[in-house]
Amino acid sequence: MTQARRCPRGSANEAASAARRIVPLVALLVIVLWGCSSKKPETNAGANAGSQPGLGQEGLGGTNGSSLSQFQKGTLGQGQGPLSDIHFDYDSYTVRPEDGDILRANADWLEKNPQAKVQIEGHCDARGSEEYNLALGARRAQAAKDYLQTLGIAADRLSTISYGKELPLCTEDTEDCYAQNRRDHFAVTQ
Amino acid sequence: MRALVIALMFTLLGLLAAPAIHAQVGSGPIKIQIVGAEQVSPIAVSDLKNLAGDDDHKVSTVFVDTLRRDLTLSGYFRLIDPASYIENAQSSGYDVGQFNFGDWSSLNAEFLVKGAVTRSAGKVQVEALLFDVGQQRRMMGRKFNGVPNEVSEMARRFADAVMEAVTGQKGPFATKMAFVGIRGSRFKEIYTSWLDGGTPVRLTDNPTINLFPDISGDGRHILYLSYKTMTPMLYLADTQSRTEISLAPSLGMAVGGVLTADGRIVAAYSRGGATNLYLLDSQGSELKSLTATHGLNVDPAVCANGSLLAFASDRSGDPQIYTMDLAGGSVHRITYQGNYNTAPALSPDCKKIAYESRIGGSFQILEISAAGGSPKQLTSEGNNQGPAWSADGRYIAFSSRRGGSAQIYLMLAADGRITGDLTKGEGDDTSPSLSAWVGE
Repeated sequence: MTQARRCPRGSANEAASAARRIVPLVALLVIVLWGCSSKKPETNAGANAGSQPGLGQEGLGGTNGSSLSQFQKGTLGQGQGPLSDIHFDYDSYTVRPEDGDILRANADWLEKNPQAKVQIEGHCDARGSEEYNLALGARRAQAAKDYLQTLGIAADRLSTISYGKELPLCTEDTEDCYAQNRRDHFAVTQ
Repeated sequence: MRALVIALMFTLLGLLAAPAIHAQVGSGPIKIQIVGAEQVSPIAVSDLKNLAGDDDHKVSTVFVDTLRRDLTLSGYFRLIDPASYIENAQSSGYDVGQFNFGDWSSLNAEFLVKGAVTRSAGKVQVEALLFDVGQQRRMMGRKFNGVPNEVSEMARRFADAVMEAVTGQKGPFATKMAFVGIRGSRFKEIYTSWLDGGTPVRLTDNPTINLFPDISGDGRHILYLSYKTMTPMLYLADTQSRTEISLAPSLGMAVGGVLTADGRIVAAYSRGGATNLYLLDSQGSELKSLTATHGLNVDPAVCANGSLLAFASDRSGDPQIYTMDLAGGSVHRITYQGNYNTAPALSPDCKKIAYESRIGGSFQILEISAAGGSPKQLTSEGNNQGPAWSADGRYIAFSSRRGGSAQIYLMLAADGRITGDLTKGEGDDTSPSLSAWVGE
């Protein structure tokens, strides 16, 4: 039963910067030290979690127009921006014929704003495994990227990201709601 | 003997239930109710006798509350209401000859736990004993030494020992769980706790999205995916040294990953629309490409005691479960029923796969042999996701929205009987991952 629980000493910043280095093939290896708090008394299931600081308190800021930063601000889905969303059928990543006009309009805007770069976000509805949906969202974002490239938009202006089913515009279990959530959103990044 | 009888009853129940369940797969949800009092043994768990230092009964309360919860959660025992106990734990003894078995047989207790506590100068000793009330004999005893905040862990180890004495197989309670919780904010964070949900600790703290925790066998490391830099990346956290590394192989966007038994990582990365699986070393360097299709290969799962990999792939046109030997070898398609099968989880002995399947309009947990065959439907109520096997292979933890919010439940893998809830968070708790026995 005897379990030693040691608390790391010294400055977290010091340790973090000392440990920060580039490793070939591995890219950046960042070591972050947790804060160290005394162990909370035993609680039963479902009680509040310990107030121990968590790992990596990052995530503020970043891509301002992204759905994630909107979600952080509580404004997800408010204000469309200059580019319009397209939508997908269930478990599909094929651009619908009727959404071709939207993509052409988005391409026109990108041509008129040659400095602008766009992050294409793939989103999914609430059904199915989180991970499968994350991969499906990546595929949806790629589908729009491919389409915009065929319309002449340079690949280096188009990045992709998937949010899977994590950032729904609505949360009801209805076909209407699912259809709204199966989307590509186009976030202008600069 | 009793273990044999119980094992036999489960086998018989399994045989009776199995055909009905098989017949229903693919034809809509069914109600599975196999709750018979005959397979659940009445047990009494008495307070610990205070030999020294536990005048406020704090040690006794933590030990007994945890033990009562875990034995109830096992599904093998029904706790006899402590309010009905006749005997005074403090005035009577706790070993054979020092108390009256009649006080317990009159409550129809089949089994009885009694014990004692000695507490001094920051140290705690708990002795706990299991009795067969009918035979008036001591079946098993354990002595635990530790510090006060280890008392609940002592109870979990004793619960595992009680299950071993009664069923012939050690219980799964001295194991850890990692899960995703929305607790106290709008954001999904990673938590760890004991299997029974006790002592939850938040691992991450960032207002983004944290997903797919996978806990190592020893409970020390957690692999998870986070958007904390606004881009999904995998992180490997060490809960003991309180450090973590980010994994950044140049393979595209991180989609998910799991730890193998030998500390390597199977991860899914998306590039150009396709998502494929790769074997990485513990620092995130690519060792080997495992799949190479133009579609989606996700939800990797490895078995605790072997080199089998299970995953979901849409290579046939819709998501199905496949297996592959990590050491090399061909891919085998396992599922053929249903057109949306994902999230496989391999049992510790590598013989069974639990997974999610869309049946009708809802998602259910099914089980199938890792060699293929007919699936068995385990859940039928609400939407159920993210199965994870317990260390002893008898239970599957999963999340379900049956109660409104998503919470994590425990069920017996043999028949799908739900034995209790592991979480009761104020928000959604999902994506359980379970370790092997810790501290051994």
